[in-house]
Amino acid sequence: MKILTCPVNGPRPVSEFVYGGEVRPMPDPANTSDFDWADYVFNRSGIPGVKVEWWYHLASGTWFLAERDTVADRVLRTWLPGEEHP
Amino acid sequence: MPYQLLRFALSAKHPEAPMFRAPERLRDSYDAVIIGAGGHGLASAYYLARDHGMTRVAVLERGYIGGGNTGRNTTIIRSNYLTPEGVAFYDESVRLWQDLSQDFDLNLFYSTRGHFTLAHTDSAVRTMRWRAEVNKHLGVDSELVGPEAVKEAAPQIDLSCGGHAPILGALYHAPGAIARHDAVAWGYGRGASQRGVEIHQRTEVTGIDVQRGKVRGVQTSRGYVSTPRVLSAVAGFTPRVCHMVGLRTPLYIHPLQAMVTEPQKPWLDPILVSGSLHVYVSQSARGELVMGASLDPYELHSTRSTLDFTEGLAAHMLDMFPFLSHARVNRQWAGMADMTPDFAPIMGTTGVEGFYLDAGWGTWGFKATPVSGKTMSWTVANGRDHDLIKPFNLSRFSRYELTGEKGAASVGH
Amino acid sequence: MSAPSAAPGRLPPVSGEWIDRSRTIDFRFEGVAYQGFAGDVPSAALWAAGVRTLGRSFKYHRPRGLLSFANHDVNALIQWGARLNLRADVEPLEPGMDLTAVNTFGGVQGDRARVLDLLGAFLPVGFYYKAFHRPRALFPFWERFFRRVTGLGRLDFRAPRLHTPKRYDFADVLVVGAGPSGMAAAVAAGRAGARVVLVDENARIGGSLGWQRGGDTASLERLRALEADLAALPNVSVRPGTLAAGWYADHWIALVDAVRMTKLRARATIVAGGAFEQPAVFRNNDLPGVMLASAAQRLVHRYAVKPMDRAVVLTANADGYRAALDLLAAGVSVGPIVDLRAEGESSGLSERVKQVGIQVLRGHCVLEARGRDGRLCEVTICPWDGQGNASTAAPQKVACDGLVMSTGWAPAAALLYQAGAKMGFDERRQQFVPAALPEGVFAAGRVNGVFTLDNKLADGERAGLEAARLLGFDAPAPRSVAPDLDAASHPWPIVDHPAGRNFVDFDEDLQVKDFLNAAAEGFDNIELLKRFSTVGMGPSQGKHSNMNAIRLLARIRGASPGEVGTTTARPFFHPVPLSHLAGRGFSPRRETPLHSRHAGLGAVWMQAGPWLRPDHYAVPGKRKSENVREEARAVRTGVGLIDVGTLGKIELYGPDAGAFLERVYTGKFANLKVGMTRYAVMLDESGVVIDDGVVARLAEQHFYFTTTTTGAAVVYRELQRWNAQWNLDIGIVNATGPFAAMNLAGPKSRAVLRAITSLDLSNEAFPYLGVRQAEVAGVPARVMRVGFVGELGYEIHVPAHQAGHLWDALMQEGAAHDIRPFGVEAQRLLRLEKGHIIIGQDTDGLTHPDEAGLEWAVKMDKPFFVGQRSVDIVRRRGLRQKLAGFRLDAASAAVAPKECHLVIRDGRIAGRVTSVAFSEVVGAHVGLAFLDPDLSAEGTPFFIRADGGTMVQARVVALPFYDPAGDRQKISG
Repeated sequence: MKILTCPVNGPRPVSEFVYGGEVRPMPDPANTSDFDWADYVFNRSGIPGVKVEWWYHLASGTWFLAERDTVADRVLRTWLPGEEHP
Repeated sequence: MPYQLLRFALSAKHPEAPMFRAPERLRDSYDAVIIGAGGHGLASAYYLARDHGMTRVAVLERGYIGGGNTGRNTTIIRSNYLTPEGVAFYDESVRLWQDLSQDFDLNLFYSTRGHFTLAHTDSAVRTMRWRAEVNKHLGVDSELVGPEAVKEAAPQIDLSCGGHAPILGALYHAPGAIARHDAVAWGYGRGASQRGVEIHQRTEVTGIDVQRGKVRGVQTSRGYVSTPRVLSAVAGFTPRVCHMVGLRTPLYIHPLQAMVTEPQKPWLDPILVSGSLHVYVSQSARGELVMGASLDPYELHSTRSTLDFTEGLAAHMLDMFPFLSHARVNRQWAGMADMTPDFAPIMGTTGVEGFYLDAGWGTWGFKATPVSGKTMSWTVANGRDHDLIKPFNLSRFSRYELTGEKGAASVGH
Repeated sequence: MSAPSAAPGRLPPVSGEWIDRSRTIDFRFEGVAYQGFAGDVPSAALWAAGVRTLGRSFKYHRPRGLLSFANHDVNALIQWGARLNLRADVEPLEPGMDLTAVNTFGGVQGDRARVLDLLGAFLPVGFYYKAFHRPRALFPFWERFFRRVTGLGRLDFRAPRLHTPKRYDFADVLVVGAGPSGMAAAVAAGRAGARVVLVDENARIGGSLGWQRGGDTASLERLRALEADLAALPNVSVRPGTLAAGWYADHWIALVDAVRMTKLRARATIVAGGAFEQPAVFRNNDLPGVMLASAAQRLVHRYAVKPMDRAVVLTANADGYRAALDLLAAGVSVGPIVDLRAEGESSGLSERVKQVGIQVLRGHCVLEARGRDGRLCEVTICPWDGQGNASTAAPQKVACDGLVMSTGWAPAAALLYQAGAKMGFDERRQQFVPAALPEGVFAAGRVNGVFTLDNKLADGERAGLEAARLLGFDAPAPRSVAPDLDAASHPWPIVDHPAGRNFVDFDEDLQVKDFLNAAAEGFDNIELLKRFSTVGMGPSQGKHSNMNAIRLLARIRGASPGEVGTTTARPFFHPVPLSHLAGRGFSPRRETPLHSRHAGLGAVWMQAGPWLRPDHYAVPGKRKSENVREEARAVRTGVGLIDVGTLGKIELYGPDAGAFLERVYTGKFANLKVGMTRYAVMLDESGVVIDDGVVARLAEQHFYFTTTTTGAAVVYRELQRWNAQWNLDIGIVNATGPFAAMNLAGPKSRAVLRAITSLDLSNEAFPYLGVRQAEVAGVPARVMRVGFVGELGYEIHVPAHQAGHLWDALMQEGAAHDIRPFGVEAQRLLRLEKGHIIIGQDTDGLTHPDEAGLEWAVKMDKPFFVGQRSVDIVRRRGLRQKLAGFRLDAASAAVAPKECHLVIRDGRIAGRVTSVAFSEVVGAHVGLAFLDPDLSAEGTPFFIRADGGTMVQARVVALPFYDPAGDRQKISG
């Protein structure tokens, strides 16, 4: 089973985590066209590559960010939101 | 002994021609290029040639025929969907399926087994009733049945499922069937090839030439070909192809795994699906139990296997069939499912003129192979969406007109 | 019962043998009694007894004997009671075994299906695609026939579920395969200080050191020395009888033994699993008596069974010469050695066989084998050109009862593939070898293309040291290993024959012509070939067939095997029982702290997500509907008590708590007064209703709110995520588990509660929708005046461990008022009468708030809330459907509709019933339904199609059905 490193709890099997999808910055709802808002709500990049994703450590209730290669399934680094991108 | 086999004994040389042919070189131009030689791409090519007389068509495939999800799914065919548009679409597919072996003169082992979607909770019973009612309304043979009907069709089942998920009822869909998946691709491939379509394997599309919003050609690993029409039928690779024309989609790619036991003597006739236990299972003509579960929990563009998939599925199989303890799992595998937010496909025209999408097949694509070919070929030939697929156009998301299939999401497959 | 047969083939004791001759074991095979020894396997004991037909082949039902004798082919698949598809080659012999061969029709000897062998000409590769579909009506008949003749073992439906516990383990280095290279690797890594686990699927370690001796005992002495080295290392755990069934991400390996699966996490993996000896392909190469050299050597050295009396050796490498010497030492009359290579053997072995008088025919092949009574009796030997062309002018016929083949090997690389290794074809060694290995994965020994013993030991040591160094252990730099001089594999161990029956795949009965024909039909790449011909799809997964298939395809395409490539080896290495994978099973179930109270009151359970909740309480002699109606009546007229502890419960603290709620819920909460509650609706970003609950403000900076039962975990998680982005000054605590909750409802609820609390319950002091913190029955409680069921009511939240005490107190005080516990079913009816929706029942995955009649709860004049922008878009789009209350016309009440029955208008679907029940207080069936918006106006009649297609008429009525002014919730007294 895949190992994922929670920034708080260290390396853990992936079954302890919930995947939260790719990080997608929300556009300003007040200044965004309907089309662009729908794009934000529904569309995903879908393309393989290194992505920054949300992950959640279920046992401790910790959300964090992970940079992961979605082809090789390699996690390059993880960090807590608001922390400096290491 | 059927007469069709006599010729093999009477002929000194193997009396069969190659099923697929392709010239050594790509032509400079085609009337249409289909990306992906899976079931959907080949079916589209077949009907383009057969029904629409378009034979200057190339099917380009980076790997080999039927090597993607066509050869990786668990071959379940049914039309007991939730929405009228879904039912109409899949019902047409089932109708096509039933004639396909004869159309192709190739035995697809299309086997009508009956399909039970088990309900273990009262909310699941409600959903099954919903589906049954929509199905019946549209003339599809579905019925909400009690546990006793499940027991009658599969007498070996433990209706309590080990005591923790008692079966309260089921959606019974008599036309539910399985088929030999690879042969479907071969049948369509052979039929298309016989009608002049070129199937180029090991030919990767690396770019799509779009000028002023119109498709002009495709760049391939074997050179450039010009064409006014490109149909993408590439399942898990769809986002990459869409990226080539600057289209964004709601598709997300998650692996879907499956596993199969060693052959056993026949005992399970129907196809059983349990949303609560995340199990779907049927017994193949070879005697293997072909089993699947739910989608992998995170995005991955790979067909790697996981052990926990087999562990969870095995435990739930034994909940349903405790006597399978000694049965052995022979092999596990995975495909890349291109999922959509509303569990319906993305089909038809796009914002790029001449670029057509056949995607979003998630975990439900195999059963749609014939009707996708039918409707996509019509769409490509006519330049507008076939009536049956209008609800599935990519633009529905920006219009907030999602299909209602999501209501049945808990049952899947 | 007849006495067990004697075992004429058993040799005098052989040094290193695995059997215990002091313990005999009686067993039966196909109804005949036999005897073996402890440590035996059925195949060996049967072979010793002279049995040559151990099974029947899959397609043609040809007799099959021993081929690999290593679980690499399935010619000897047997059944013992409920245990099906056992491998007779490796299954330990047990007393009382009553074995049959699988998939025979009338026994392995007289198998009636053997007629299929005569029909072979009608059954080309993929024949089942070519026929049986016309006439269509006959296909079901043919399908039944196919299903009957395929399949292998038989299930016993009475067999109990095995609850097989699993184990977890950890290692620095896992070494797979305890042959010479694996043992050397384990010793090297172990000496460097690594914690090593060494596994081998065989009952004992040693690999080829044990069985490939070349007629002397030097290798056995090496084995003993290595065993001693391992034994001296306490940090090395040696596990024979343990299969590495699959390699998964981050060195997570499934180790399977006879009784369980162990999931081992390693930091590095060394694959030293050796190679599968590959059969030569010639006519009748499947006759019992034709076997791999390694099989014959294992028979001799492990089980002291004489494989044959007179053996011909077909070889193309040194291993065949060693086998000849081993057989000779076992008393077999050996000769000639048929060497496919024109130049013959270059090592000293050539001289040694000459010294012992074994004839060698270089540049020869075996053209065909001939059998009598289902066993080998003669082989035909011809000169050939090494490329498949035999000179049949002067064939040499040799009578023999054994032919051993050693013409090539294929790497046991399954785990390497699973780990993501790239394999490349080494032309010189004629073998696929690792070309690129992922980090932490190493290969050693035969799998690495290393075959001579010294090299295998050196290669193992290299891998062990490399693994140890990678992990930071202090180990010397490994020495490089000199490559082997000779190829162990012949490039073309295949002789075609016009009469066929030259098998490439022994699982699937595939012959040379099947490959030629499949390729001619267009299946000319390895993946398509596999799928069309089914090569490698049998239970042995191509271990003995894929390499020859690749060679055949390469020749057809005029390519090298490297260009053809291999198929991917997916798990499992050998099939794994479902019981091992399943383990004990894990089906989590949650019970509220009041579970035992409910059980004592006769609760009938229903599942709500992971929870068990009382559906209703059974009263003996009454039907469910009566019970539900009485429970509801108690709430309407007296007092009832329901456990609502499964609701999600969340504490929210901090200066920004109000602002946070305004962002995640559609309503306004910043202005909620301390001591008051408010209904709350949550949307997702697409504007779909996903949850609801009640928000209570306990203090200026302290809110406490509920979520739906099934939404609890997700809502809590998503709220955390939002704040991970917004960074508001709040704290969120999931109190679902710590708090219990129960709802005391009914006109007499105040009277019951008053008796056990000092809280002022008057309407003035504690109004409707108020919340108070007070002691109830001596327990610190949060009491909310809510109206879900439409009566005066108090939802009381207390610490979970005190819930039982409170429940008992309420029931005791309530007794005077005929209090009744009520279940989910009565609650659903009561809330329906009030027109309150249930998220997930009266909404689905696409329901927008306006459709569900929740417009009033959506405050668009806030700066932001999740889903707001989407609601704005959807509102401009217009309403597609509307949830409305309906009342069934009295004339229709005979056939009441059910939830999810459809609303039909002009033959079209115009809606769906989401909730329906007979309401005693209304005196009619009432319900909620999604309707086309133009049907949703009050008073509009519409039709519902009920069971049996009966159309029943209903009419839209205003909500709620009961107590529209809401007076009941506010009564005083």
